[in-house]
Amino acid sequence: MVRLAAFAVALFIVAPMFIVVPMSFSTAISLEFPPPAYWLGYYRNYFTDPNWLRPTFNSVIIAAASAMITMAIITPAAFAMVRSRFRGKALVNLLLMLPMAAPSIVLALAYYYFLGGMRLTQTHLGVILAHVALSVPISFLVLAASLKGFDRNLERAAMNLGATPLKTFFLVTFPVLRPGFIVSAFFAFIHSFDETVVSLFISGRDAATLPRKMFDSVRMDADPVIAVVSTLLFSLVFCGTVVIAVANHRRRQARISRG
Amino acid sequence: MGARVSGRGLSRALYSAGGSSHWLLLAPVVLFLAVFAVLPLLKVVQFSLTDPKVSLDNYVHVFGSGFYLKTMLGTFMTAFIVAALCLVLAYPVAYVAARAGGWIAALLLLAVAMSFWTSFLVRTYAWMVILGSQGPIVALLKTLGFQSPQLLFTNFSAILAMVHIMLPFMVMALYAVMSKIDPNLLRAATSLGARPFQAFRTVFLPLSAPGIVTGFSFVFIICLGFYVTPVLLGSPRSQMIAGVIGDHIEYSLAWGEASAIAVVLLVITLALFAIYNRYVGLDRMWG
Repeated sequence: MVRLAAFAVALFIVAPMFIVVPMSFSTAISLEFPPPAYWLGYYRNYFTDPNWLRPTFNSVIIAAASAMITMAIITPAAFAMVRSRFRGKALVNLLLMLPMAAPSIVLALAYYYFLGGMRLTQTHLGVILAHVALSVPISFLVLAASLKGFDRNLERAAMNLGATPLKTFFLVTFPVLRPGFIVSAFFAFIHSFDETVVSLFISGRDAATLPRKMFDSVRMDADPVIAVVSTLLFSLVFCGTVVIAVANHRRRQARISRG
Repeated sequence: MGARVSGRGLSRALYSAGGSSHWLLLAPVVLFLAVFAVLPLLKVVQFSLTDPKVSLDNYVHVFGSGFYLKTMLGTFMTAFIVAALCLVLAYPVAYVAARAGGWIAALLLLAVAMSFWTSFLVRTYAWMVILGSQGPIVALLKTLGFQSPQLLFTNFSAILAMVHIMLPFMVMALYAVMSKIDPNLLRAATSLGARPFQAFRTVFLPLSAPGIVTGFSFVFIICLGFYVTPVLLGSPRSQMIAGVIGDHIEYSLAWGEASAIAVVLLVITLALFAIYNRYVGLDRMWG
């Protein structure tokens, strides 16, 4: 009974997303389902229309840049927060969580004023700076969690054996923590790539991101290319999650069979 | 943010607990957030108090107007309904995933991960197709003989899509707690004569309470400030508070008034976070 309910809810979670796939091959101009006929025309439109390609490139560049800056500033902070105790730590923790706690529409308004005053609205730099602030909380939490599980005896052993602290960091600390770094950077990248509300109000035409373009085309209800973009994005997620789930499951099976 | 931190200073900062070197490590992120998070938010507070003139008029207006009070009340109601529905739907999924393990858990968590990582614009668009006037549900209702109802652009469509979008968060919050509950506790309860449901109610349910609190608070707080989905799918006549702020940015020049509503929303949200942090702890949010 409970299992049936669980699977019914899981179906409710995944099934609706698949409807974007047939929609992307539809010839219909509006949201008609089932599609009247199928073709590939809107795929051709997506891959040739600069109004879609430019926001796609913008999003990739902005997400990559903000992920790099985010990692650069949160990595030292994660070491300080996990490894030392000091006065004001609780306050720093609250500051680090602020961009997650504040509603995105309020931050959108704030950046609209603030970046506008610095003439940074409608620029890539403005969107990157805003996205770095927005990515800090989640990336920090992920990195700090992996740092908490790190066995410091490994570092002590390396230093006992004569490694300098920097050597220890690059030969021991960083390689052990690499999965944590990668996941944390990935969260920063995706957070920026999917961020809609702030981009909507500050990215303008030149720095328009893909979510902004998608939002506009959903709202105007005019551009069927949105179905193509949705299908491409969903396919990436579908393949990525399935591959990771299968790999995890295999690894667990292997561990069980080894005893 | 010294560009030339000496190797010795850096290593001392990374590996020792004493001294004040931790501030060296914290400086970049603290300075960055002070300039690019705190200052912009203070700017909103400043506008709310000074535009068009220095006064509390904007707040008097916000709290005195039936429209804003109705919007705020409606937003709270919607957020509560979404969080409650998410809890009811997510609980069995997290429960089965935590208790069954194996391929069943793998499959359920795969469904959750797939939705979690898919942009919520994609999910919102999917619901527009499903609930649209030329969509499958309306077609089904028509063949069953009902006259075609308006599904899209109603509170119903907004709530349905928000529940769908927030469900993965709720499942993960519950699963993080449930997967750590020792199954021997349930076995002990049943071997002492408790019926399965009794064992669940008196042992498992209370132990899963931290996950319930975390998931519910998180979904509720996010929904208070939800912009995209209600704006695209909801009824234009009963907007949520974020939508009203967005309209102000786009169409009106009443900066002071928009800022005052934003400050009210910000204060309510931060207060809820502070209460949550005080009683549960923000670091518990991620299991």
